[in-house]
Amino acid sequence: MAIPSLRSSGKCLKKSALTFLTARDPVMQCLAPRLSRSMATEVQLPERQVYNPFIPAISRRPPPIVPDVLATVYSFPDMEPLRFTHYPANHLHLPLRRDILHQAVVYEASCHRGMRKASTKWRGDVHGANRKIRPQKGTGKARLGNKKSPMLRGGGVAFGPHPRDMSMKMPRKMYDLAWRIALSYRYRRGELIVVQKVQDLEMEDSWWIEKIMQHNHWGNEDGRSLLVTRRVMPKLFEAMNGSKGGQPGAGRHGIVKEESDIDVKDLLELGRIVIEKRSLDSILKDHSSDLNKTVPSAVYT
Amino acid sequence: MPPRLHSLLRFSHSIVRPNIDVLLFLGPFHDTPQQRSASILASLSKNPGSFRTAKRLGRGPSSGKGKTSGRGHKGQKQHGKVPLGFNGGQTKDEVVAGKRGDHFWAAFTEDMKPLNLCKVQDWVDQGRLDPSKPITIKELCESRCVSNVKDGVKLLAKGSEQFSTPLNIIISRASAKAIATVEAAGGSVTTRYYTAFAVKKIVQGKMDPINSLQSQIEAGAETLKRPFYNRLPDPTSRKDIEYYRDPAHRGYLSHLVPEGHGPSLFYRTPGTGKIATRKASKAKAADGANRIW
Repeated sequence: MAIPSLRSSGKCLKKSALTFLTARDPVMQCLAPRLSRSMATEVQLPERQVYNPFIPAISRRPPPIVPDVLATVYSFPDMEPLRFTHYPANHLHLPLRRDILHQAVVYEASCHRGMRKASTKWRGDVHGANRKIRPQKGTGKARLGNKKSPMLRGGGVAFGPHPRDMSMKMPRKMYDLAWRIALSYRYRRGELIVVQKVQDLEMEDSWWIEKIMQHNHWGNEDGRSLLVTRRVMPKLFEAMNGSKGGQPGAGRHGIVKEESDIDVKDLLELGRIVIEKRSLDSILKDHSSDLNKTVPSAVYT
Repeated sequence: MPPRLHSLLRFSHSIVRPNIDVLLFLGPFHDTPQQRSASILASLSKNPGSFRTAKRLGRGPSSGKGKTSGRGHKGQKQHGKVPLGFNGGQTKDEVVAGKRGDHFWAAFTEDMKPLNLCKVQDWVDQGRLDPSKPITIKELCESRCVSNVKDGVKLLAKGSEQFSTPLNIIISRASAKAIATVEAAGGSVTTRYYTAFAVKKIVQGKMDPINSLQSQIEAGAETLKRPFYNRLPDPTSRKDIEYYRDPAHRGYLSHLVPEGHGPSLFYRTPGTGKIATRKASKAKAADGANRIW
């Protein structure tokens, strides 16, 4: 605390010396207006606040204003830039948080694993009587209780598997944040390509879409791409992902998925995302529960 | 119809330009770099401080948990488990000197959420509570002035110096000072009976937050009533009835108490009951008239 005050007092000294000189010397006096002109823009100093014990000393500083980000909207197959759109920085320009992405990806995988159904019966669950199957003594054989013992054939299983839920939990707001972090990461690297609308193909043949992928440098040589559409487009999906027992499709160049079918891991997996604008908007809208903009209130307008 | 590929390829623009125009004279040295997109998935991890590594037991003396694996020497504790509360075979402490007393009745205590006047005033100042309408548990919960309400809300007087808005508050209980403060500001307090179930249903909008069968409904208020799925209950236990009969608590049942009577259902107000007076029977009176002396 002492150093800035010292410094400021030093500045004051210098300033007073300068004013003294300029006031005395006539040459300096006539030069003064030009010399004393400061090059920096003058800023009005903030008024010194009087300490008031009833006003909280630490006032919360408002968060820095981050400008909206621009994204270009392209037309789909010919990739002609149509227009720009704005997205708020807390949607598409969030800082990368690897830990949150990690948690989201692990959470999704665990939910996909879901319920394990394997089930066995312990000796208490096995159907049968509790009758002692042979006398305790005198047979020359081992002591046995009932026939449901896990040692015997047909008995229960000791330490066998039982149904269990493998899914983890994740706070909704964190998960939504992870979605937007993933999209922001893609956006900053230029790997989020927003297209106006994707139309279904005429033929299921993968040749056409393969050419499109390669021509735009979205293909296998460039890290493959995820194509996200609003709804399932049967012919495009077949051309891209292949069909059962039919053609293999253009899967080596990427994947096409419906908007409701993608998750955070899909967003991070391939080289880039080509997404319909309405799908992107809908994803951002659905995954913004952590952006609490309204204060809970009992006053309804 | 989607556009034909021939025309498309001729007119379309690729976003990433192919790097064909690399300096040609560098040809022999220039090896086209194999561009691979390394997915970020491989480099995702938790923050280093957010987890602990497992304690590895029995992995040599340098680990610090080597020889006895942190279990000490000899005995049941080294080899297995000791039952909870086990006292060496002696009767367990919790059996000899178990809990007794007040905790037995703890299940019947009512969990009232405290609500102080400073907070109500703050919420009104913020515009989160409407001072022109009655403030009930529903409004308080919706504006998050109170949360996680169990059996009800009690109005307390902290910050009563700052309280200045005339409000009509309907709440489970209120302290004497809180009542005095609200009324001094020109408002009113009514305490009324709520149960945990009622609070839940009121917040859901399925129950009337103000009126029940026994409450005194003003002449104009009936028309405003809309049908609710559940009916707001009235108290049945003597303790509750007596609380809400008391005009000092501004209880909603105080209209049932006759003028000059106390709220108690057990003790009669002195001077209000019938005084047993012995009347002389007519036969005796007649006898008396015929008596000589």
